[in-house]
Amino acid sequence: MRRHAGMRFEERTIRVSIDEERCDGCKTHACVEACQRFDRGVLRLVDGRPRVLLSGEELKRLGTECLACEFACRHRGRGAITIEVPIAGLDAYRKRHGTDK
Amino acid sequence: MARLYEYQGKELLRGEGIPVPDGGVAACPREAGDIARRIGRPVAVKVQIWAGGRGKAGGVRFAEDPAEAESVAGELLGTRVMGFEVRKLLVEEKLEIEREFYVGLVVDSSREVRAPVMIFSCHGGVEIEDVPEGKLAKVVVDILLGLRPFHALNLARKAGVPRHLLEAVADFNSRLYRVFRKWDCRTIEVNPLALTKGGGLVAADCRAAVDDSSVYRHPELGIRVARESSCEPTDFDEIAYSIEEGDLRGTGYVAQMSQDLDAIATVAYHGIGGGGAILGVDALNKAGLRVANYADTSGNPPASKVYRVVKLILSQPGIHGYCLGGFVMANQEQWHHAHGIVKALREELPRRPGFPVVLVLCGNKEREALDILREGLADLPNPVEIYGREHVYDTGFIAHRMRALVEDYLKVGRG
Repeated sequence: MRRHAGMRFEERTIRVSIDEERCDGCKTHACVEACQRFDRGVLRLVDGRPRVLLSGEELKRLGTECLACEFACRHRGRGAITIEVPIAGLDAYRKRHGTDK
Repeated sequence: MARLYEYQGKELLRGEGIPVPDGGVAACPREAGDIARRIGRPVAVKVQIWAGGRGKAGGVRFAEDPAEAESVAGELLGTRVMGFEVRKLLVEEKLEIEREFYVGLVVDSSREVRAPVMIFSCHGGVEIEDVPEGKLAKVVVDILLGLRPFHALNLARKAGVPRHLLEAVADFNSRLYRVFRKWDCRTIEVNPLALTKGGGLVAADCRAAVDDSSVYRHPELGIRVARESSCEPTDFDEIAYSIEEGDLRGTGYVAQMSQDLDAIATVAYHGIGGGGAILGVDALNKAGLRVANYADTSGNPPASKVYRVVKLILSQPGIHGYCLGGFVMANQEQWHHAHGIVKALREELPRRPGFPVVLVLCGNKEREALDILREGLADLPNPVEIYGREHVYDTGFIAHRMRALVEDYLKVGRG
């Protein structure tokens, strides 16, 4: 998992991280467009960067966890978005059953 | 329904003052011997499985002393009774039974009833389905009013309970109803309700199941997975349940399947919509593939839930391919499926060279969903085939494509 300084926010069960340094060279802002299309427009374009204007509580209520911004940024942006979708117990399960490699 | 073992059901009965035989649970022969020693009388050794008819299947044995109890326990533990592995035994005092009754409560969800129904019969000790309808007495319980003493008394009288036992049976039934309500049961059954030679009424057996939706109210029951099942949940089942637990946004149901079927290989299977998903399983089986699991993501789950399901089923050992069987023109927005699947496969496929994938995704937002799948997986070297509505009902074709790719995978020795 890449760690970087930048914007982080949470929806109900996921964590979204945006590496803003990468955003600086982005011309497409595909994440914002994807968010409008597949989610509820959580991401807005402010001063050339994606921004979340909702509170943490609002994000958890409104976000639909569509994962579309990560996809859009990878394929049409600069690969700045990483979404963590934790699954409790999965790493331990994989270790136990030898499927962690 | 989350089922309880006999010993758990009897604990609930005991809590409401219902007499149950003295006993305890043993997981090894030594524990069985210790319990028999404490009881100090002949004992019954009963396998704890989620099935009725254990007695006829050899799952209930008797022992005269602790040494015999230990020996019998050694014979039963680890065996299979009615297809279920025996991991626990209930060792309890052997009752001297004069007569056997039946009493049970079930939620009748039929349109005409929609209420608990209490059933009583003077013909206990046999499967209640084998008792003629005319020998069963029933009362539909008004859930707001509850089972009042006169209801319980009338039920016993209607069933033909001897006059001198009417009051005791009515009291038993009232207590049983309180257990049923307190623990949010869907069913509870005492069969036999034993009249002992000493004249007391004792619950000689107990089968109970708690409403799935109410399990959260009863953490003390220790039910880890609130789902209908014939056996204890595995570590896989627990993770699968955690994906659904508390997240009602669409369905993300996953269950592991028996691996008894003869097949050339095993695939991780991901269906959409219960009926279509089953058709896919049948087709894969007919094509000589067994499925490691059943999965259903329907009802428009978010992409995050779809991702979790795919990650989980791809975590199973011994799989040789992944098949998305969307054999339905689904109303759900399939682009969310596409985003979840792409994310999961992009994480999983790079570390599985040659691992084959066949995807069928049809219905609402199909064109966009297929575009996402194609774009998202295009740069991965694995064999990935993506189909839409042209093959929505063509389970046989998809199964044979899966088989062909799995055969190639096995040929190069990667499986």
